[in-house]
Amino acid sequence: MTRRYLLTAGVLAMACATAVHAQQQKGTVRTAAPINQSDLPARLRPEAKIIKGYVPPKTAWGDPQIAGAYTNSDESGIPFERPAQFDAKRLEDITPEQLAAMVRERQTQTVERTPTLSEFPGATSPLHWFENYRAANSRAWLVTDPPDGHVPPATDEANARNAARARARSAHGPADGPEDRSMYDRCITRGIPGSMMPAIYGNSYQILQGPSYVVIKYEMVNETRIIPLGPVPHLNGKIRRYLGDARGHFEGNTLVVETTNFTDKTAYRGSSEHLTLVEHFTPLGPNTVEWSVTFDDPHTWAKPWTFAMNLTKVPDEQGPFEYACHEGNYGLHNILTAARAEEAEIRAAAAKGIVKAPSAQDPDEGEK
Amino acid sequence: MKQTLLTLIAVVMLLAGGVRVAAHHSFAAEFDDTKPVKVTGTITKVEWQNPHIWFFIDVKNPDGSVTNWAFSGGAPGQLMRRGITRETLKIGSEVVVEGFRAKDASNNGFGQKVTYPDGRNVFTAAPPSQQ
Repeated sequence: MTRRYLLTAGVLAMACATAVHAQQQKGTVRTAAPINQSDLPARLRPEAKIIKGYVPPKTAWGDPQIAGAYTNSDESGIPFERPAQFDAKRLEDITPEQLAAMVRERQTQTVERTPTLSEFPGATSPLHWFENYRAANSRAWLVTDPPDGHVPPATDEANARNAARARARSAHGPADGPEDRSMYDRCITRGIPGSMMPAIYGNSYQILQGPSYVVIKYEMVNETRIIPLGPVPHLNGKIRRYLGDARGHFEGNTLVVETTNFTDKTAYRGSSEHLTLVEHFTPLGPNTVEWSVTFDDPHTWAKPWTFAMNLTKVPDEQGPFEYACHEGNYGLHNILTAARAEEAEIRAAAAKGIVKAPSAQDPDEGEK
Repeated sequence: MKQTLLTLIAVVMLLAGGVRVAAHHSFAAEFDDTKPVKVTGTITKVEWQNPHIWFFIDVKNPDGSVTNWAFSGGAPGQLMRRGITRETLKIGSEVVVEGFRAKDASNNGFGQKVTYPDGRNVFTAAPPSQQ
């Protein structure tokens, strides 16, 4: 098995090297160092077998067993909404063969794009950073409801609210102070469902179960969500939290988690603090749980909508590693000192009568 | 103007959806892609910590003085899952670092590639016991 991975890594690395070489030939790439085979050690892929009508084992107290360490690195790069090429198709119309071909194509494209994976053309981060490299996607797109695979249009209220947010935001530079950076840059939170959306690394989760609680640990930014089970009322509506207030119960073998009491600081795709988020964690096989997320927020969308992806069980030692994000967050410091340095350059240029534009950057980088 | 710029960036990012893979921080905000650096030096300190490891190397300048450079690397968790541990960066080892300098012109950088003088990749070379 290891040999197969090494072989795959070798083929992949050669393809990457070819792609980089081709780019360099064109003279379009500024690169500090070429990418080579040794940049990508093998990563064991978990087995994700789906069994129709799968019934998970029960815990000692009779709940369906879903505890374990999971990853969704392999769901990286799936288009959120239905791509135009599948107009009039539903997710279930895509055959396993079509999906397999699609995944092969996406993986090939990833290899071809390797030189542009970073913000610096040709200067990608080392390949061993990419836990999601050549992801083996489980589906063609993420939005499962409405069946057309598209998020319903935003309401007028949401458009007005988000335009006001953008206006307020544009009154500041991208890095005038720490508060101008995203909650992610600042190591505060990626919110819910943001904390479970696959990124280049940190896509590890640990689900723990007890008789009256489920706990989900999210590696990236080190979040822990404690979910009481059963008929426990939500917190008073005046109490708002970044991760909201979650309550869970089992419906058959599926864990259903309803979360309310969000803040307006962790909006997902423009959602409001009135969002009710309903997640379903459904075991599909011994190593696979489908995670589906329904957004019910009449202040943002005219009707509820849902996306879904799979979580795959991994050995416990591959589970979350403590991501004490604040301990060495020099990144935030460097971003702020970089902005001050740029301002000084602009002032110095202006003194010589030269107009120098600030560099383009997106302060909400990490939210994507 | 600023709003137009932000909108433009948002549009470009939407068009590029799924193409560029964002790391935790915006490297473009931190480092300068017009200032590639390549230095050779001796590892003096390693901070194996989140969200990115940093390692420090003493680099001898042509005039004989020594400059201590700091370079960022991956997150400990992602490195661990590739079998890369803090033992990988040994104090006193001579390494060649290629990367990009911080925008604030300090001696900080993004360590894109770290090799031993013989060209082996420090992070992915076999550990000394297996060589």
